[in-house]
Amino acid sequence: MSWLSRQFSTRVVVLIPVAIAINIVLGYTVQTVLKLPIYLDSIGTILVGVLAGPIAGAATGAASNLIWQYAPGIGGGTIGPFAIVAGVIGFLAGVWGYLGVFRPRPTSGARLWLAVVVGVAIILLLASRIYNNPAYTDPNVGGYPDWVFTAAIAIAVVASFAVAAFILVRRDAAGAWVAAAGALTGIVAAILSAPIAAYVFGGVTGSGTDLIVAALRQGGADVYNASLGQGLFSDPIDKTITSFVVFIVLASLSDRVLARFPLGERLVRPAPAA
Amino acid sequence: MARSAQIISGSAEIDVRLPDFVQRLPVGTYRRLNPTTKLVVAVSEALVAFTVRGWTGPVAVLIVLALTAIAARTGRALLPFLIATIPLTASIVLVNTFLFPGATDPIFGIGPFTPTWTGLEAALQATLRVVAFAMSVAILVLTTRPDDLVGDLERRGAPRGVTFVIGATVRMIPRILQRAGEIAEAQRARGLDTEGRIWRRLRGVLPLAAPLVFGSLNEVEEQTMALEARAFSAQGRRTPLRLFPDDGAQRALRWTLVTGTAVLIVLSIVGRLAFLP
Repeated sequence: MSWLSRQFSTRVVVLIPVAIAINIVLGYTVQTVLKLPIYLDSIGTILVGVLAGPIAGAATGAASNLIWQYAPGIGGGTIGPFAIVAGVIGFLAGVWGYLGVFRPRPTSGARLWLAVVVGVAIILLLASRIYNNPAYTDPNVGGYPDWVFTAAIAIAVVASFAVAAFILVRRDAAGAWVAAAGALTGIVAAILSAPIAAYVFGGVTGSGTDLIVAALRQGGADVYNASLGQGLFSDPIDKTITSFVVFIVLASLSDRVLARFPLGERLVRPAPAA
Repeated sequence: MARSAQIISGSAEIDVRLPDFVQRLPVGTYRRLNPTTKLVVAVSEALVAFTVRGWTGPVAVLIVLALTAIAARTGRALLPFLIATIPLTASIVLVNTFLFPGATDPIFGIGPFTPTWTGLEAALQATLRVVAFAMSVAILVLTTRPDDLVGDLERRGAPRGVTFVIGATVRMIPRILQRAGEIAEAQRARGLDTEGRIWRRLRGVLPLAAPLVFGSLNEVEEQTMALEARAFSAQGRRTPLRLFPDDGAQRALRWTLVTGTAVLIVLSIVGRLAFLP
């Protein structure tokens, strides 16, 4: 049990409400002020997961959605039933934190280019898994319209360029790992949320992404596959951006602040060679 | 008129006079129920509305909700919650009526759009479920103060970390919301583009998110010190200041609802409820 109570030190218990409030407020602000078609409502969840561990991350994610649903004032909406997905996102973030994915890895020269190649390769690999998966190309199962595949390629290419630029400009190989972790989290989130959206809300959630669902169903996909198709579009992009925001936030915090959290030692940059 | 609470310290009983507002309880047939009872009622309503498919689940829950709303005298306060569901319900009705996969019973045919009866039925059922869910949330929120609920849960033995997280989050949201607004205005004054092309707006994510997260993380440090200085991690129970009356009838109602909902969910999953309309 000691590993569990270590994840819930007083500092973490204080961080969790702040993280939940950040989730809710940033999600709300990004969607209304910047009017972007992404959610960005898991920055706090991923932050707690990376700083404190999988169980703390899962608790933060699930509690975020439930409290958002029942919070007086800005409550309501359709967020509550997706608490399970948010919990898994937080759990995965804890695993990434444990593996040291979010630790800065300053490098230069050939190793930097190696990181670029690895990062781009991981993204293209994930994209090709979606592109070539028989579940999506088989007309008996999904039968998406052609533009879905063109858009998937376009997004993968843009994401590759963004990750390469991030790694080269910051001279930090961690960008490759952060991108892979974010994209993987997004795919898991999409696979988990599709049945919830299909079963609970008949496939739509009242947000801008419903247009994608409608287009996919026009193309002949059933309720579940239309939701899955929409999720595989929005979620990897959203979670990758979120992961990069968390990485930049963590990299700008001092080691003194980071080291006080349970997984802090796995986040501080390696000591410079004397 | 001040009531008195008995606080036991050691073996001596000290009578402490508390101001009236500390212990004043809500009045009204529904409102004065124990907060935990109201929470159990709201959660089981939501679960039944979603798990019992077809018309029966949502309609039955809506009838219960209507009776509760009358007993709780929520009246017009429910309206904003109902309006908030419109974007979702409109989306559900449009997408399902016009694009229901495999439906072959068109209502009428105009051009490429063919609404179907099957789609309309599915859409109306989904709409009723969403409205029932929203109303169950609304009645709980309108009749129960978060502090009361958290206090009662702690008296029942919920871990202090859990009750702190719920209570602190509810208090934190308005503050962070206000701070986010200030940051957005400050960044706009410095030339942040919130209206331009999509990739320009995407560049605005970091200038909004970073100050918010940094500022909040600073507060975490201060709050940790303050809580530790006040024995947050000490063992043992805290003495509740506000006590909410509970009785056997409410306890029976809660257990009936919990077991009844569990049974309905299981029956629904194994398909024994298919005979219901």
